[in-house]
Amino acid sequence: MAEFFIRSLDASTIFTIAALGELIGQRSGILNVGIEGVMLFGATLGFITAKTTGSYLLGFLVGIAVGGLIGLLHGIFSITLGGDQVVSGMGIWILGFGLTTYIGSPYTGPLGMERIPTILGLSPFFFVAIGLTVIIWFILSRTSLGLRIRSVGENPEVAEVSGISVAKTRYLCVVGGGMLMGFAGAIYSLDYNPVWNYNFLLGRGFIALALVFFSMWNPFILLGGSILFGTLWQLSLNPQLFLPGLMSRYIWRTVPFAITLGALLLMSTKWFRTKWGAATPEALGQPYVKD
Amino acid sequence: MKIGSHELKLERRVSLSGWQATGISILAIIVALAIFSIIFILAGVNPLTAYAEIFSYAFANPFGLPLTMNRSIFILLCTYAFIIPFAAGLWNIGMAGQLYAGSLAAYAVLLALGVKEFQSAELPTTLVILMMLIAAMLGGAFIGGIAGFLKGKYNINEIVVTMMLNFMMFWVVSFFIKEGGIFMNPGGRGESFELPPSLQPSLIFGIPFTIFIALGAALLLHFVLHKTKIGYEIRAYGENPTAAAYAGISNFSMPLLVFIMGGALAGLAGYHYFGAVPGVYKIARNYGYFGDLAFYGIICGLISRGNPLAAIPVALLFGGLSIGARFVQGKMGMSFGVDFALLGVLMITLVAFQFFYRYKFIWENSKGEP
Amino acid sequence: MYKVLPENIKRGHTILEARGITKRFPGVVANDRIDFKIRLGEIHAVLGENGAGKTTLMKILFGQYQPDEGEIFIGGEEVRFKSPLDAIDLGIGMVHQHRKLIPAHSVIENIILGHPRAGKILNLKRAEQEVLEICEKYGFSLDLNAKVWQLSEGEKQLVEIIKALYRGAEVLILDEPSSALTPVETEKLLISIKAMSEGDLAIVPFITHKLPIVLQISDRVTVLRKGKVVSCIDTSEATEQSLAKEMVGRDVIFRTQRTTVEKGETIIQVNDLSAFSDKGVMALNGVSFSIREGEIFGVAGISGNGQRELVEVLAGLRKPEGGSVSLDEVDITFADSLKRWRLGIGYVPADRIAMGSIADFSLVENVTMNYYFDHEYYRRGVLDTKKIRELTNDIIAEYDVITPNVDIVAKCLSGGNLQKLILARVLSRKPRLVIVDLPTQGLDVGATEFVRNKLIDAKKEGACVLLISEDLDEVLSLSDWVAPIYEGEFMGILPGEDAKRELVGAMMAGIHLDEESA
Repeated sequence: MAEFFIRSLDASTIFTIAALGELIGQRSGILNVGIEGVMLFGATLGFITAKTTGSYLLGFLVGIAVGGLIGLLHGIFSITLGGDQVVSGMGIWILGFGLTTYIGSPYTGPLGMERIPTILGLSPFFFVAIGLTVIIWFILSRTSLGLRIRSVGENPEVAEVSGISVAKTRYLCVVGGGMLMGFAGAIYSLDYNPVWNYNFLLGRGFIALALVFFSMWNPFILLGGSILFGTLWQLSLNPQLFLPGLMSRYIWRTVPFAITLGALLLMSTKWFRTKWGAATPEALGQPYVKD
Repeated sequence: MKIGSHELKLERRVSLSGWQATGISILAIIVALAIFSIIFILAGVNPLTAYAEIFSYAFANPFGLPLTMNRSIFILLCTYAFIIPFAAGLWNIGMAGQLYAGSLAAYAVLLALGVKEFQSAELPTTLVILMMLIAAMLGGAFIGGIAGFLKGKYNINEIVVTMMLNFMMFWVVSFFIKEGGIFMNPGGRGESFELPPSLQPSLIFGIPFTIFIALGAALLLHFVLHKTKIGYEIRAYGENPTAAAYAGISNFSMPLLVFIMGGALAGLAGYHYFGAVPGVYKIARNYGYFGDLAFYGIICGLISRGNPLAAIPVALLFGGLSIGARFVQGKMGMSFGVDFALLGVLMITLVAFQFFYRYKFIWENSKGEP
Repeated sequence: MYKVLPENIKRGHTILEARGITKRFPGVVANDRIDFKIRLGEIHAVLGENGAGKTTLMKILFGQYQPDEGEIFIGGEEVRFKSPLDAIDLGIGMVHQHRKLIPAHSVIENIILGHPRAGKILNLKRAEQEVLEICEKYGFSLDLNAKVWQLSEGEKQLVEIIKALYRGAEVLILDEPSSALTPVETEKLLISIKAMSEGDLAIVPFITHKLPIVLQISDRVTVLRKGKVVSCIDTSEATEQSLAKEMVGRDVIFRTQRTTVEKGETIIQVNDLSAFSDKGVMALNGVSFSIREGEIFGVAGISGNGQRELVEVLAGLRKPEGGSVSLDEVDITFADSLKRWRLGIGYVPADRIAMGSIADFSLVENVTMNYYFDHEYYRRGVLDTKKIRELTNDIIAEYDVITPNVDIVAKCLSGGNLQKLILARVLSRKPRLVIVDLPTQGLDVGATEFVRNKLIDAKKEGACVLLISEDLDEVLSLSDWVAPIYEGEFMGILPGEDAKRELVGAMMAGIHLDEESA
């Protein structure tokens, strides 16, 4: 039982860090629907690096760096070239899915390294995730940089006439956000489940994307949501622990996705919107072109 | 950039003619293939040889060509599933879930007719096949319709919804065909029961009859989108939902309608691969692979810029490339997933080339300026 | 606060000078050799019609555009602005007509946004203190912790002014400062402007055609026409007539005479109608009225007082919370918008680009917007494009829409031409009720006159018109009935001939007709 909750918290770590990456980008107005693709890149290249060099540190660094690079690519498409962010995000996801399948397949199988030590039974990255949540909350709400990020996401034109470089701020956020997504991917493949397999994330990136919408762009709600979904995910893998024989194990696997749909539905109701208000960054998804 | 008295400048396009768009799309594909050469080179394969092998196997080989045709029909149907919602400005990335649902529905017809038990149906073959087709469309339309309903009624992001439905339907298929599921193959091999030979549709020059559905759908869709009232409503909603609402076009029924239409076509894609392609005739164990292939529909739809007629040659090319890449992968001893890698490179190159749909390079004579 | 200017510049000396400013855009010379001087401590109005080059000049002075020719001097030294940032650093502040504020942020966050001294970690306490000092100096009062979306238009404008002052502005450019303000708010603004000019700030309001304001507050006035300076005089030497003539280039008759036609049956009857806004606030609060054939019913008010909700409910785009609406004695309270089009409601929306047209559709396809559902224009689900094309050609000829052909996309049309196309499309359906929301906003004098005449023609032909406008003169000169709206309620309904400017102005600011007469 304790094992179950530990696994749940570990699973939530991946959701949290990836979704925080998406959250920073969205706060600056850039939507990246390719989060799963970025995570696949970080996970696969991190895994290959660690496996060939035997160094966890290098594995994580590569995962983070690759995430940042893919974030940069998304930035070039959506900021500099002013393209459709959804098109670019889909491109990144399909690229990540396609290319990592090919690059990773010779490395299919377990990592075969000594496991990363745990703290109180938990993965150390769980604490990193909590730390990152606090830091990102602090940056967004208490610093000048955070005000700039939020302003750029709300109304880039106003930010620009106030002397803020929209492009620079947004690049900072997509690259930083990409690094977090890559990091989350690397945590998956190096710590959570150190076995490489074809398309192994199975939709975690898309759930992280949905989590950002649920969080109403608040890092703490995001953390809570991640823990909830981490637990759900574990439950869907091990239904026999709590509700043996209730449903086929295959149907259990659909549960996290069904709950995601349910939560999205709840959030869209009039009751929810008038009670909690909508905190959507106004300029989310809109390219900004200076005239 | 300046060269002599001429200057290279970027300029925003006011309009884009069909020929210009075609040119850009062709260029994008060529550039993608050029970029992909790097992967061949890294794998120690001469890219020219590789491409020669890919194209000759896909289009000039008696084994490869039928495979190419089967796959192209599949991609084409998936492309329509993408194009219709796209005309309304919506992203259907749920072709996988919709085609799973379509396949399940088609096999459910057989189950209901006792085909699994008795290996034959009492009804005429044509009628059964027709029923399977209709069921496949309904199944796909139902799953698509969920996304359309949620978008229209509650304005929920259709990308997240269709993706969630993909994952859900993936497991639902497992539920039906594995571990005692009602469609399970009696041999218990983690796949569905097989179509009895009497219900395997006959081939026309080695090609499944679904090719006529795919080609007919292209003409029909083109006509519907550009000539009819409903097509106008779909396009108006896609360009500007606020203006469409102003003009009395329902912001609820448009998303629902396009997702139902798209889902139905994706459902047909499911029937095609699992019910009409020789050598399969069952919901295969690796059905997830076919779901992933459906994403070629997105690229094909984007590159043909939502034009169902233009999608035909593109689907043929992509079908051939993916079949050929798989073949080369085996022949040259490359690792698994060359076709998926190609998919990724094509997609990202296309994304980059989107820029040229909006901008163009012009040479300007800077001497003549006052 | 840091002083940007050399100390030796005193009140009355030239602080900002522009010489020979020229700016060309493809096809037009927006600014043609403009010379322009602003003295410290003066209020210097710049007057001109839409398209006279005001916006371009303003953007050049604020560094948003770079001039093709000409120089700008501050305190006698030549300067070049690469971006607004350079202009801000040299003491130029801008108050935009379309507020450059972030509604979701607080007032203080908006003020310190982008300020070089905001610090890495926000020190809101210190910033608040500094801002309060500025407020005290000029007698402003404002809740710094309120969110900007909660503020009135006048308060938002004040935030922009304070933001500019906080960044050390010595020259304050105000873009159409009184637009979107109620008469009471305008009064307050004028007091603030006076206070600031006495505190040695140069104030430069750019104004379209609000001549009374120019005469009331400015010390000098520069008139622009077709990109050129036509005159620059002391305001004391100008009159409303002389300025108008210089601005337009010909004598202008100010008031179109109201035409009265015989009134017929009641077309629309609205009883106690109420509706929520998008934010879930009751924005329309029990409005009742009726309009008969041959009448124009004018709703006067500053935008944001429930006009949008009223119009959307009547057009079928928003659900009413209570009340009823009937058209020709048919109840349409809950009819959808398509049904209303079919029953004879025609709607010309305020936002021509986002709602009234589809930018990437051709003119024919744009006209189709109001005809695709008409049985005469489609058969068995197939649109009769030939017939719609003929119709488009007919109406663009009749409404004088200037375009090379009907196949160009709508985004290529100018604002005036687009409005004419939309009006043509709607009126050609011969609607019973025409709803027009801000029909002449942003149009030049010629197009404005054209649009107004078409509305009068519609009423002559027996339709009724619901006119929503912020322009008091427009409402007063066209309407048979005037209903000033304030916070979702009509403050009374006056017959056109009784609607006096001052009275309507007071009612728009929330004074009920009964209170006024009491």
